[in-house]
Amino acid sequence: MAIPISQMWTVSSYVLKNRLAGKKRYPLVLMLEPLFRCSLACAGCGKVQYPPHILKKQLTPAECFAAVEECGVPMVAIPGGEPLLHPQIVEIVNGLIARRKYVYLCTNALDLKRRLPEFTPSKYLTFSVHLDGQREHHDMSVCREGGYDITVEAIKEAVRLGFRVTTNATFFDGTDPNGVRAFFDEVMDMGVEGIVLSPGYSYDKAPDQTHFMGRARVRRLFRSILSNRKPTWKFNMSPLFLEFLMGDRNYECTPWGSPAYNIFGWQKPCYLLADGYADSFKELMETTKWEEYGVASGNPKCANCMVSCGYEPTAVTDGFGSLAGFAAMVKATFSSYKDPHAAKLLREYKPAPPASLVQIAEPVAEIAETLEETRA
Amino acid sequence: MTAEVHKYTLEQVEALEVAPGTEHENLEGWVPELAGDNALREALEKAFDYRGDITITLKSGERIEAYVFNRQTGATLAESWVQYFTPAAPEKRKLSYSEIARLEFSGKDRAAGKHWEDWVKNYNEKKAAGEKNIALVPEEL
Repeated sequence: MAIPISQMWTVSSYVLKNRLAGKKRYPLVLMLEPLFRCSLACAGCGKVQYPPHILKKQLTPAECFAAVEECGVPMVAIPGGEPLLHPQIVEIVNGLIARRKYVYLCTNALDLKRRLPEFTPSKYLTFSVHLDGQREHHDMSVCREGGYDITVEAIKEAVRLGFRVTTNATFFDGTDPNGVRAFFDEVMDMGVEGIVLSPGYSYDKAPDQTHFMGRARVRRLFRSILSNRKPTWKFNMSPLFLEFLMGDRNYECTPWGSPAYNIFGWQKPCYLLADGYADSFKELMETTKWEEYGVASGNPKCANCMVSCGYEPTAVTDGFGSLAGFAAMVKATFSSYKDPHAAKLLREYKPAPPASLVQIAEPVAEIAETLEETRA
Repeated sequence: MTAEVHKYTLEQVEALEVAPGTEHENLEGWVPELAGDNALREALEKAFDYRGDITITLKSGERIEAYVFNRQTGATLAESWVQYFTPAAPEKRKLSYSEIARLEFSGKDRAAGKHWEDWVKNYNEKKAAGEKNIALVPEEL
């Protein structure tokens, strides 16, 4: 596990404190969306499709701090949109660090390298950089040629300057598990603290609804990716959540574990499904019909969701909430998950036929030049 | 969630290979017939899902251009409301269903044409034309 001990201690004591207080529902991570503007226009993204007057709006630092204090979480993730486009993002991050919150600033890193001098390395601050795979895969995923190179350069600079850095990848239908494993090697070579990953989910606000895996396919994919792990791979996630993705654990969703706050208010019921908004965290917790969401509810909107914002809080609570859970977490941390069947799945994996595969290829002239240089 | 929504059993969910997803309607330019309370409720539910502005005409005759981001339904139209932002005002506003006379999905649907296939087609066309540094860029604000 790549998460520092101080952070684990903070989270575990927070979980225990809430359990001892008899609280049934409590949040772990605030998903703080200070704005929806983004510097990318990824096809299928459901977070940035708003009219310009909505994209121009943003939370003030005071609103961000009030939300954090209201819900009392130990960790804050700042997604968006692209948070670095917020003119007061440094003030927001510094204010959260001053409140001793562990901050995950999610960024596409297109402007990160230039902005790094404005931030100070801290155990409380992690840049969670959106990187979906190897060069061709990532560029296609974010709909921008050259995006991978800019992002990787920023990651390396942030690591060099002593910042905590993780990568954050989402995998969709058609993902090549061998490519993902090679991507893990690349990422760890960049010196990041750990990898964060999640399967895609067809939340109804996403304009593209046709490239999302069902749960059976998600489990097969993650079993082939995450079995037979290399010792160099580190994950900045609960190991029990990874076991859930592999099909070794059955968890129910904990939507209140990662509540989302943005310009509209507190989002019901979770970070991805937007079924309405509450004006306060208390109202969110008291008026959301939680029984109508999650796999057990039968709600078709939740049918294929195995996303970290809903299921990682369940895994974290499981891991820190009992001795058995803690023992399972320790065991999982040191397991390489040897699995000959998964290795066979990897060997036998056949990518989609070339007709439907789209790759960003090097221009023919550049390939010819490379060949000439090689021959010379 | 409405009562008529088909629910999955746990077994069905666990066996899903591909997610069925949600079908998005093409609503841009739509002016719903508001013949009765249910029609208004259904239209406002679609307005809540719509990724563009709606023009709301009140029974008073006032017209409001609004991005509807929230709604709450009660037993009567008077007890039901939508919450919205307008392009001009910074604050959230609330409006009772009972005040609404007409709706028009007047604003551009910002989610339309944002499918993966659209990007792949666009990319292939540009690549074939010899373009470099191909990218989708956010619209100017």
